[in-house]
Amino acid sequence: MRSFWALLKKEEMALFTSPIGYVMVSAFLVITGYTFTLTLFLTHTPTLTHVFVQMYSLLLLTVPIITMRLVAEERRLRTLEMLLTSPVTEASVVLAKFLASMSLVLIMVLLSGVYALALAALGAPDWGPIFSGYIGLLLLGAALVSVGLLTSALVNNQVIAALLSLSVFLLFWIIDYFGWLLPDPFNALFVNLSLLVHFRPFATGSLFLSDAGYFISVALLGLFFSVRALARR
Amino acid sequence: MPLVGAIVADRLVKHYGPRPAVRGVSFSIQQGEVVGLLGPNGSGKSTIIRILTGYLPPSGGAAWIQGLDVAEEPLAIRRDIGYVPEDAPIYDSMRVGEFLRFMAEIKGVSGKAARRAVGSTCERLALAPVFKVGIGKLSRGYRQRVAIAQALLSDPPILVFDEPTNALDAYQVIAIRELIRSFAGERTVLVASHVLTEIEKIATRVMILLDGTLLTADALAETRHAPSFRLRIAGPRPGVVAALGKVRGVLSADVDASASANTYVVATDSRPEIAADLARAVVDQGFSLIELTDVKPDLERVFLDLTQRTVEARAA
Repeated sequence: MRSFWALLKKEEMALFTSPIGYVMVSAFLVITGYTFTLTLFLTHTPTLTHVFVQMYSLLLLTVPIITMRLVAEERRLRTLEMLLTSPVTEASVVLAKFLASMSLVLIMVLLSGVYALALAALGAPDWGPIFSGYIGLLLLGAALVSVGLLTSALVNNQVIAALLSLSVFLLFWIIDYFGWLLPDPFNALFVNLSLLVHFRPFATGSLFLSDAGYFISVALLGLFFSVRALARR
Repeated sequence: MPLVGAIVADRLVKHYGPRPAVRGVSFSIQQGEVVGLLGPNGSGKSTIIRILTGYLPPSGGAAWIQGLDVAEEPLAIRRDIGYVPEDAPIYDSMRVGEFLRFMAEIKGVSGKAARRAVGSTCERLALAPVFKVGIGKLSRGYRQRVAIAQALLSDPPILVFDEPTNALDAYQVIAIRELIRSFAGERTVLVASHVLTEIEKIATRVMILLDGTLLTADALAETRHAPSFRLRIAGPRPGVVAALGKVRGVLSADVDASASANTYVVATDSRPEIAADLARAVVDQGFSLIELTDVKPDLERVFLDLTQRTVEARAA
């Protein structure tokens, strides 16, 4: 267990001692802050639905940058050899990297909570969709981070890892469009693979176990295959 | 387990795709030995070491560390091994002390024990002046010492070094060599290198590897058992070489390029009466034997002979 905490601490240090984490958080807050302010002044409605949808898009773009170096960089510098010839399991290395990246996503999402506090100060927002939106964002973040981690574990080049995970995210963003063109039962299959189809209910205040199950399944599959990819040397 | 020892490899095979990197290598290393694994670049040294340290799974065969199967108990064997990979791949973004503390913790040494282990290894490797310096700013020598320090933190009974003196200057090479030699008897040490002179000075036993095949498990023993002779002979060169080559037990006979034109070097097997046979062959052909000296072959000779014979056998 102590070795796991050491791994987690090392990953957190790597993330927060480089400027990339701070740039990500700042860019995320500036863009969502602009959308929040604009929406509030134009619609005069105490809702974060538009902000959540924008956060969804921003996570799709920022997570590949957060996760790209996780394994690919260690493989390129051969520090992975040093790490995996020490008495630690592949699963603990993957989990430490996943949790460290999730902590950055968590910080980005939690800091945006000031928008909810602003709504509470200015009016009486409906807290249901706000809470469900944040739960959806965290579940989406977990799924995206685990897929990003997997692509980083599959290739040696971090730029290729980022492009690969970005391509996968974009494909699963728009995959439901293909679904509508296909006959039954393929249409339902493709539509249900879509990230947006499963995220939209969270953003609008509807909590379905199937949507949460989708993100949790993707996250677990990503972690499982990341461990397998690390074990395959 | 047919072989016994602190490190045992039994018919290890490793393929990278269709290309074989290691072809049925077997050896054993006893407790307290300092063994060198010598071979040209690409001969499979690092692959064997990565299999022994549990980093790579073998395609065939098996390996044991302190009696534990590497494939079945990878975590347990990693606790017993301190490994220094080639070119010291360590985290540039960390400070020396921070990195050693991290490595101690992932090796299961924590709290006061970790502080003590870091302190004592830093003292042994003279790392105190760079304790708070970023690893990215270190010289190659210090970097290598940090990589060795992390291997010692958990006080493992086995140490494995892959090209430990690569790209170091003469002083650094001597320091690292002395350090590795100081482990003899205290720990089991395996050192892989392509630098023949280094291995000769560090190891008490040398294994030679070529194209993934182990040519000998004790090259230094061959230097003791396979004598060669230097002969000064007055006579026509082709005739002398032919006469020497016909003697039973002669492995090779050639002009000694480093000496005068009349000097020949003859590599032989270990037959005790071979010196007399050589003298008789020269005299019987009517040549004048001026001098016959017993020359103990060095590791370089054994390495060249073994690799040359293997290459010729494969070509045939």
